[in-house]
Amino acid sequence: MRKEYRCNVVSKCMLNTDTAFIEIKCPEIASAAHPGQFVNISCSRFLKRPFGIASVDKDSGTFKVGVKVVGKGTSEIAAFEAGQEVDVLGPLGNGFVIEAGKKYILVAGGTGVFPVNFAHEVMASEGIEHVVVEGFRCKDQIVLGDPSYILTTDAGDAGIHGNCCDGLDTLSEDQVKDSVVMCVGPLPMMKAVGNWAASHGLKAYVSMEQRMACGIGICLVCVCKIKAERAGEEFDHKRCCKDGPVFPFEEVIW
Amino acid sequence: MSNPISVKVGSVELKSPIILASGTCNFGHELSEYYDLSILGGLSSKGLTIKPRVGNPGVRVAETAAGMLNSVGLQNPGVDYFIEHDLDYMDSLGCARIINVAGHSFDDYMAMIDKLAPHKDKIDALEINLSCPNVKAGCMSIGSDPEQIKLIVSSMRKKTDLPLWIKLTPNVTDIKTMALAAQEGGADAVVLINTLLGMAVNIKTRRPVLNNNTGGYSGPAVKPVAIRMVSECYQVLDIPIIGCGGISNYEDVLEFMIAGASAVEIGTASLVHPTCPVDITADLKDWCEKSGESLSSLTGTLQLW
Repeated sequence: MRKEYRCNVVSKCMLNTDTAFIEIKCPEIASAAHPGQFVNISCSRFLKRPFGIASVDKDSGTFKVGVKVVGKGTSEIAAFEAGQEVDVLGPLGNGFVIEAGKKYILVAGGTGVFPVNFAHEVMASEGIEHVVVEGFRCKDQIVLGDPSYILTTDAGDAGIHGNCCDGLDTLSEDQVKDSVVMCVGPLPMMKAVGNWAASHGLKAYVSMEQRMACGIGICLVCVCKIKAERAGEEFDHKRCCKDGPVFPFEEVIW
Repeated sequence: MSNPISVKVGSVELKSPIILASGTCNFGHELSEYYDLSILGGLSSKGLTIKPRVGNPGVRVAETAAGMLNSVGLQNPGVDYFIEHDLDYMDSLGCARIINVAGHSFDDYMAMIDKLAPHKDKIDALEINLSCPNVKAGCMSIGSDPEQIKLIVSSMRKKTDLPLWIKLTPNVTDIKTMALAAQEGGADAVVLINTLLGMAVNIKTRRPVLNNNTGGYSGPAVKPVAIRMVSECYQVLDIPIIGCGGISNYEDVLEFMIAGASAVEIGTASLVHPTCPVDITADLKDWCEKSGESLSSLTGTLQLW
């Protein structure tokens, strides 16, 4: 049976002025989590807040999430310190399918760097060939960068001047060939990256986002438009939390 | 005492007063990953319509201080799909099978009864949704007119022996009039209350947070409104009441029952703590053990000043 876990924050650091990196102890979640999945974390507000799992340490039974302050709930959670008790549901959602023998192009923008960090972590430890391309507004916004990543900034003050697609264009033919693209970021960015993948004949998966309540598929508020399976229907509303958040790019109606 | 928390809603026997409210448990699949749903008195299905509905577009939820607004808009796979794919599953859960029936017109509701009546062996009660605030026609507009309530309930009554529980909207001037109309139409019980119509405004964009502009307000904040309506209706009705609105712990259940409810529905609390009905069930048993009372004896014991 799944559970709602009462957990403790074990460490917290600020990655920049408005983004915290929080480590929470929960061996059950740490051992079950896949890249692309998320957790729902409580604060004093009515509803929990969803965060993509950014890193897992199975030995210590902890996982990490990145918390960018966007409102009162995230502001409170970003201020949590070690010892803080939280209620956590997870791991939630379907996550990315990572297969041995395949190679991947991971693309992140905004808070998408957190789930992509987890995917990178898993692929690196399992020896799965992959490249990471991340786009930021400017140098100050870069978090969790790695020397192996291809970084882009809109402002041009770090990495390649441009967006993720400009970063993707720098990949060699060998790097691109037969890769699967996984993308997490703002909707316009994911659409652009999905189109880039399609133009190179690559399969792409995107992680959708919508205002969420339960996180477990019972309230139906966090839906996105997905091409309908039934004949005669234009689209279905699928739940980001339960049917997703990861969907094949070509099934999303943008 | 055999089972001190068992209750009856008319002819329907429930092993516990706790029913999962429609729209907050789908058909049970997801929550059964968290606990054994056979501990429940019942589960009320997602509101069903004759044709599948994709529901409303855009943002469908707005958090409030002690609750939330939703504007899902009755997204559901349609009654035919439900009968084919989910009814047997609901039948297997080991709690009462309540099917929530919604519609846009008189004819829709009648057609729904025709679809469901042949499956009465797998249904314990039909919960007739005359109260969803998030669709343009039917539901709340029918549920705020006593003549239409009476007509629709009496017409359904002629079509089926299945218990008819009428879920009413609080967005009316006098809830008693609506509940009495349901009773006169032949309802077996009323469910009080569905969500309150509300709105939230984004102060930066100066637009409603919800793309539907308005939504249904639920959560602990609405509980006093629901209790007041249960109490008012208990004083005038002969049929049982199922209380619903902001219940999140066992004391809330007791409060509703004392005010006049024979059973209760838990909704929004499941969205916050999916296993809260497990804790509430244990706490109710504990309360019965300590007090020496059975829950069913509580109904309507409120003494007004």
